[in-house]
Amino acid sequence: MPGFIDRMLTLDRRWIFLFVLVSVATPIIYPIGLPVTTTGSTRAAFEYIEALKPGDVVWISFDYGPSSAPENDPMAEAIMRQCFTKKVRVLVSVFYPLGGLGLANSAVAKVTAEFPDLKYGEDYVNLGYKDGAAAVMHRLGDDISGPFPTDVNGRPIGEIPMMRGIHDIRQVKLVFTAATGIIGEWWITQVHSQFGTPIIIGPTAVSAPKYYAYLNAGQLLGMLGGMKGAAEYEKLLAGAHPELAKFYKTTRAFTATKGMDGQTVIHTVILAFIVLGNYAFFRARAAKKRGAA
Amino acid sequence: MELGVVGTWIAALLTLACLSFLYKDNPFFRFAESLFAGVSLGYYVGITLNQTLMPNLWEPMRQNFGQNWDLLVPGLLGVILYMRYLPKFGWVSRYALAIYVTYYIGVDFTRRLHGEVLPQLGRAILPLSHFDSRTLVSAIFMLGVGSVLIYFFFSREQGPVTKRIARAGIWFLMISFGAAFGFTVMGRVALLIGRLNFLILQWIYPMLGIS
Amino acid sequence: MNLEFGRVALVVLFGILPIIGIAMGLRAPSLRSRIPIFIGIFAGFIPIVALYVPKAFLSGETGMSSRLDLWLIILAAFALLLGIVNVVQNSSRKIGRREKGWPYAVVLLTGLAVTGSFGIYGAVTGHGIGFMPDGSSTPFKWVEDRFFQPLQSTIFSLLAFFMASASFRAFRARNAEASILLVAAGLVMMGRVPLLEFLAAPIPPLHAAAASASQFLGKLTEWIMDTPNGAAQSGIIIGAALGAASMAIRVILGIERGYLGLGKGE
Repeated sequence: MPGFIDRMLTLDRRWIFLFVLVSVATPIIYPIGLPVTTTGSTRAAFEYIEALKPGDVVWISFDYGPSSAPENDPMAEAIMRQCFTKKVRVLVSVFYPLGGLGLANSAVAKVTAEFPDLKYGEDYVNLGYKDGAAAVMHRLGDDISGPFPTDVNGRPIGEIPMMRGIHDIRQVKLVFTAATGIIGEWWITQVHSQFGTPIIIGPTAVSAPKYYAYLNAGQLLGMLGGMKGAAEYEKLLAGAHPELAKFYKTTRAFTATKGMDGQTVIHTVILAFIVLGNYAFFRARAAKKRGAA
Repeated sequence: MELGVVGTWIAALLTLACLSFLYKDNPFFRFAESLFAGVSLGYYVGITLNQTLMPNLWEPMRQNFGQNWDLLVPGLLGVILYMRYLPKFGWVSRYALAIYVTYYIGVDFTRRLHGEVLPQLGRAILPLSHFDSRTLVSAIFMLGVGSVLIYFFFSREQGPVTKRIARAGIWFLMISFGAAFGFTVMGRVALLIGRLNFLILQWIYPMLGIS
Repeated sequence: MNLEFGRVALVVLFGILPIIGIAMGLRAPSLRSRIPIFIGIFAGFIPIVALYVPKAFLSGETGMSSRLDLWLIILAAFALLLGIVNVVQNSSRKIGRREKGWPYAVVLLTGLAVTGSFGIYGAVTGHGIGFMPDGSSTPFKWVEDRFFQPLQSTIFSLLAFFMASASFRAFRARNAEASILLVAAGLVMMGRVPLLEFLAAPIPPLHAAAASASQFLGKLTEWIMDTPNGAAQSGIIIGAALGAASMAIRVILGIERGYLGLGKGE
């Protein structure tokens, strides 16, 4: 065993890469179906949207790009499905410049196709991408039509029926931001602190730890942390609205719940790596001390 | 999203070209990397033109110049920004740069104070009007915030008392960074899961006729 | 013509004054840095003062601050494209001098030209850069879905491999602090996924115990994230915010000038 571990420590790292690749690919080929447990912050987010009334407006901001799509796409889609099921109207925006707009357009097209009764301009509006997110958010307390004079396709905001009753951010019941990086923080520290708008955030797992501080301070209603948060939300959604469960059962479509199998396997692998590496480290240190003595 | 057969093959080959870097640096990866850089920059051109410059600058002036004549100023300031690339007149771009930087910093100033400092301090303050199970949690929280702030205070040399408190701050930071590492593992692996899901289920399986 | 006080004041401050400053700067090089800094003071203070002074000319919907927000959205769009000029210059030089790796510069410029052209086409024709009315993709979206998204996703996914390799080779409990970090990392990693249920899956008698232990670890993870992690992050946020706020005042007042490419005393 000791010789094996010493050989492992000097192994070409490409074998480690291959091992990681196989570890992640195996649950995709042979799904395990491990259970998902929910956390308080995700339940709080879910229950808030469940309590909204038909006609209420939720603002969904796609503030992420392809670099975090496997985490954020499932969150945004789940929230949209819940809103449309509850006949809540949806405003979509994008503030992330590198790829957010394409993901937003694709997600909106995908989810709205699942609800054939929805009408663009009455049930949902896509405002598109805007530069200068901080300036836009600063202005939202005055009006929405200033920074967003048209929707994503260039149609003037004044001509869109849904926007006639929504003058500024105060008419929006909730902002959900699926975010990577600092844009999510701006929604909390600028929009919520200045205008009191309730915020739910769906950050990537990398940035989720810092948002616990905002959650503790009451600046956030809820949080969907990374792929786990998205999987929790999918579970809650399918439980409360069984008619939506079919969207999470298809074999080819990627869902956060399916992704958690791979997460579990790789967490096991990495923990094993850490334990093995430290075992070898302490063994070597002990041998050195014995040699010195 | 349906990419079609050609689109799926393009996406799959580019994915494999990027993953080939794990074996070693090679021309396929370098090609994919350069293509990514170029397409990203072209992407910026597309979105800023279609989503900001046309609807917020050009169209308002074209449709109603009387109401929007003042937008000439930010348009000209934007053009002036590019004068930094002219050796003789680079200094002219300082006007646009000064306005741009100081405005966003001004917005950031109020955001920091009202959105970060005050709410976070409010949470850290421990109410002593009554004691229950949350009091202990709040005490630990307050100890954590205070010790971390003392650790990061570098303006004066730390004395024997503050050194001990700062040490506690380091422990809180280590727990936080360890937790962050755990979350980071999940975040990074999620991307790999997404790509392998695409390669296996949307490229290889249809190619092999597996449903 | 709309001659509201807010608009006219902004045009005078950020339109007329810079023109005067440029004219003066052509004759007196010492003014080339001073006047932009002077104008920057107004740009920085207008959004701050507008928050505390509820006067219509300043903070109303037609006030200076609101209009300035719209201006800076436009300016941000120009700023985003600033780096492209630099990249085009460097790549063109590389190709012209046939430096090492010049074919890759050709690839870069080709990608930029094709994608950018599709973006310009979308703007000029009015088709945009998303879906056409019949649901098909515009040329821009076609390139985005088949080139841009796979490339960006895959390049970032490489990090997973390097992180796993680093866990094995570098993550060591060398001292007390590193040990605390490792233990916290281990607990969070076990608590965020059903790891114990996965390990106990082949052994049915252990399923119930694994589920209970997993639940306990989940709750412990939540406590770690809420309390010690939340406290540390709160401290970091407060410290960073105070530092950023004081730096903001220094920049607005022109004490810090590095962003203009000026050193101390310039």
